[in-house]
Amino acid sequence: MEEKPNHKADQKIGKVFLVFAGICIVALPLVVFSAITYAPKEIIATVLETASFDFDHNGKTIFEKYDLISDAYLKSTSTGRTLSQYYSRRQYPGSPPEIPHPVEAHGITLGCLTCHASGGWTESLKKITPVTPHADLESCMQCHVRPVTDTLFRAIDWRSIPPPRLGRSHLPGAPVPIPHDLQMRGNCIACHVGPGTVAAIRVEHPSRGNCRQCHVPDLQVEPFRR
Amino acid sequence: MPFFSYLAYPKPGAKQALLNDLTTLDHCEVMVAENEEILILVTDTADEKKEKELQKKLNKLKSLQSLGMTFGHTDEQTKDRQKE
Amino acid sequence: MDISRREFIKLVAAQSAAATAGVLFPGISFGAWEKLDLSSGRIKWKKTPCRFCGTGCGLLVGVAGGRAVAVKGDPNCSVNKGLCCVKGYHSIQVLYGKDRVTEALVRKNDKLVEVPLKEALDLVAAKMKETIKDHGKDAVAIYGSGQWSIPDGYVASKLFKGCIGTNNVEANARLCMASAVTGFLTSFGLDEPMGCYDDIDHADVFITWGNNMAEMHPVLFSRMLANRKSKGHIKIIDFATRTTRSSQASDKSILFRPQTDLAVANAICYEIIHNKWVNWDFVNKHVSFHKGKTNIGYGIEDHFKFKDKAETVDFEQFKAFLKDYTPEKVEKISGVSAQDIKYLAALYGNPDKKVTSFWCMGPNQHTRGTWINNLIYNIHLLVGKISTPGNSPFSLTGQPSACGTVREVGTLTHKLPHGVVMKEKARQLAAKIWNVPVTNIDPKPTYHTVEMFRALDRGDIRLMWIQATNPMVTMPNLNRYRDGAQKEDRFVVVSEIYPTPTYDIADVVLPSALWIEREGFFGNSERRTQHNEQLTPTPGNTMCNSWQLIEVARRLGYEKQFPWGRETHIEDIWNEYIQFHDNPKHRMAPYKVLQARSGVQWPFVNGMETKWRFNPKYDPAAKGEGFDFYGKPDHRAWIWLRPYEPAAESPDSEYPFWLNTGRVLEHWHSGSMTRRIPILHRAVPSSYVEINADDAARLGIVNGSKVKISSRRGSVKMPASINGRGIPPKGMVFVPFFDEKHLINEVTLDAFCPISKQPDYKKCAVKVERG
Repeated sequence: MEEKPNHKADQKIGKVFLVFAGICIVALPLVVFSAITYAPKEIIATVLETASFDFDHNGKTIFEKYDLISDAYLKSTSTGRTLSQYYSRRQYPGSPPEIPHPVEAHGITLGCLTCHASGGWTESLKKITPVTPHADLESCMQCHVRPVTDTLFRAIDWRSIPPPRLGRSHLPGAPVPIPHDLQMRGNCIACHVGPGTVAAIRVEHPSRGNCRQCHVPDLQVEPFRR
Repeated sequence: MPFFSYLAYPKPGAKQALLNDLTTLDHCEVMVAENEEILILVTDTADEKKEKELQKKLNKLKSLQSLGMTFGHTDEQTKDRQKE
Repeated sequence: MDISRREFIKLVAAQSAAATAGVLFPGISFGAWEKLDLSSGRIKWKKTPCRFCGTGCGLLVGVAGGRAVAVKGDPNCSVNKGLCCVKGYHSIQVLYGKDRVTEALVRKNDKLVEVPLKEALDLVAAKMKETIKDHGKDAVAIYGSGQWSIPDGYVASKLFKGCIGTNNVEANARLCMASAVTGFLTSFGLDEPMGCYDDIDHADVFITWGNNMAEMHPVLFSRMLANRKSKGHIKIIDFATRTTRSSQASDKSILFRPQTDLAVANAICYEIIHNKWVNWDFVNKHVSFHKGKTNIGYGIEDHFKFKDKAETVDFEQFKAFLKDYTPEKVEKISGVSAQDIKYLAALYGNPDKKVTSFWCMGPNQHTRGTWINNLIYNIHLLVGKISTPGNSPFSLTGQPSACGTVREVGTLTHKLPHGVVMKEKARQLAAKIWNVPVTNIDPKPTYHTVEMFRALDRGDIRLMWIQATNPMVTMPNLNRYRDGAQKEDRFVVVSEIYPTPTYDIADVVLPSALWIEREGFFGNSERRTQHNEQLTPTPGNTMCNSWQLIEVARRLGYEKQFPWGRETHIEDIWNEYIQFHDNPKHRMAPYKVLQARSGVQWPFVNGMETKWRFNPKYDPAAKGEGFDFYGKPDHRAWIWLRPYEPAAESPDSEYPFWLNTGRVLEHWHSGSMTRRIPILHRAVPSSYVEINADDAARLGIVNGSKVKISSRRGSVKMPASINGRGIPPKGMVFVPFFDEKHLINEVTLDAFCPISKQPDYKKCAVKVERG
């Protein structure tokens, strides 16, 4: 596929792309699946965690959240979001994203969770609403703010770390470990399942609710030694 | 109305130049990868004639190493389907 | 083909390309920020208290390649339990503004020019010597901050009070916490809250007094909301002068006319007594009654002096005093319906409900600030709801170390790290620990903050060193004090991190290391001391404020008092400082403990923190049964007879509006830090004036139109906000003060509480016109 487009094929472009589009439709889930399970040889960013979690890494919460999600939602696949959009709303991986749509100025809670607690189609924005991974927190505008300008007060020299690499299985075909912190992101379903999520990080086996049966946090501590 | 998307590979060291070149072309939208030498190009032309003109222009870009097509769509597809 | 379908196809096209790219280049990113080359390989997470408000959230800062790159809440810190607010999450970006002050600057031919740091420090020392020689020791002053790290304030106090021998030491906490301090001292004899944030998890009812916690203390506010959500029966009552985000999230919002909180508080006490809700067991054993002076003035004139005098009275006299405050009478004064007053009284009076009151700048920035603090304590004391989990009159702070550095170290004109300068015993202790002759320490206080800037204007003070604060944005009646500071023969030294309006008037600018670029300690609202180590390198020639002071002290000949090495001075200073508090009422945790934990609450006695003071179950300094208010000689908490008196300046026919000022969630203090954080600036790029829709319609003002607000002191033009984030009642406008382009403090009044000397930023009279 690393060629310039072939001019001679132009005449048959319609048919070629009918086939091509079909391939795309079939291949996209494969592509996504392989994006998640691809195992690179080197891991650039490793994260040293403080040993502050409970021993189960909030596993109970995830299981409870899963029970609340409908089967129809789990199996939906439409999307309007890309990873680049996802990260463009954050100042660093894990920072609270800004609000990408207009909000009532005189508000603090309630309104946000109407849509973001459980997701679904939002008619006014013509978008599928992503689900918050922490719907138990109500004071949304404590952390999420709506930008009203693109300008800066003064320039800034800000740099941060790259987002976690996708698919870092330790063995070919093995389930990927969880490459990010679970603090504030205790509900896997919110970001990895359903129509509101980013395609590149969506799982293809949403009916298996016990995520942590196979996926474990990759804390990148020193290797075990006696 | 043909739509295509490509992975655009710049000549070595020419990522910025390629970005500049592509953004000046009509019917082109570009996304730059932050951490790899690669760009995403989405084209959206009015008809096949315009599409051909664009392809010619793309071929002439000095900063471009190669294009890998990842998606294609024309209205012909829809019409074909309607016939069936 | 319609636009949305077209956009959809393009989106799918882009996504399939991105998905393919993701296969070929795992981890490929099309994100918005510049990625750090992580050759260092690892992120290390280190604890620190947040740099912003007085809540004192614990943060974990991710450090990689010598830079702070990410933040998460510290789950080990009981303050915030792993959750921050938008300022905390983006706080580290404050280190990286491109206009950071990294070199020393000296004014030459009316321009600030870069000089070697040593030259600037030499100049500061030489000027101080010269000023003391020509005009006396009381002609030099230091004006610090509740954003000072504890060692900064300690070193400043030791240098100015102990070595130079002047009590010209003040801090901006005078502008935000002084009434809280005098409230505590008059009611309990000891500063700082008896309770702690754990009260939030125990209380059944929260009543917030003039306090928009949803924006000012968002982490504590959401902790209340979380409790309400999980328990169901909890009530949050917002008692305020304007409708805010907090009002919206509360179960009930009650509005009162500015200044009439005094009357309502008394009416609540009247109702409690009238309905026989008094906790007599508690009152008989633990409370005494007192009255002070009335008609005490407003301090608008220079050289204003006031000294209160306490007279002991009894319950019957208190009851007689309250006759003027029946709910029906107070309804007329306050605009709060008698029914709502009775509702509030019933919440406080219900023996089955645990009640926590919160307040911050509303009662503190008040020309009767000490009184309204006393009055809230009166209510809690009458019903005995104090010093037990969930029963808590809780005074919040606005700055990260207003408690730690200003109130505990005592960086105010009348204070020493332990006790007041007027007391010989306190001077002796300080002289001993500081290794100076006791005669060095002047027994007479000099100027409180407003009077200090007046003295600078008059010429009584010639040299002022300002650290970690921005008075040229935050002083009330700003025009006078800016002109004063710029007069001939005035010399202003400013330790700063960014160019600000205060930097603009400086004769010398010293570049300061900021927050996690240096080791230090903060002390938050709940008596919690929090340590941070240095996490990132100091940029350029920046130096921490403590070390700047030490460098100058040594140049003034005080090497003996400031002997510490650069590497260990923060630990050495801590070890010296805590000798002042070495008693069970105030003992501080040792350095090693603070290093290891995410904050420790004092008194720290026998390895235990004290969560509830004055209660022998929790407080080792308290003796006997029930409670022991050991701060007062009679071991009782004092109920004060404090009347309602009007504000210093009220609306009239010429200036018909109240002006109220404050903050917004996104910006903190004068905005010099938060405005440089992209997401915060983009959310609130400029200040504005909130105006009631009815007033706006009458004046022909629409959302966004320019409005001119003028008082007898100055005027400012800014865009109008109608039905925005906050909604003032008819006859009031509200302006956030963070914006140096719209200096609302040129309009505010420098009237203050005669007891605490804290100015009232919430009430003055203005007129409002289309601009």
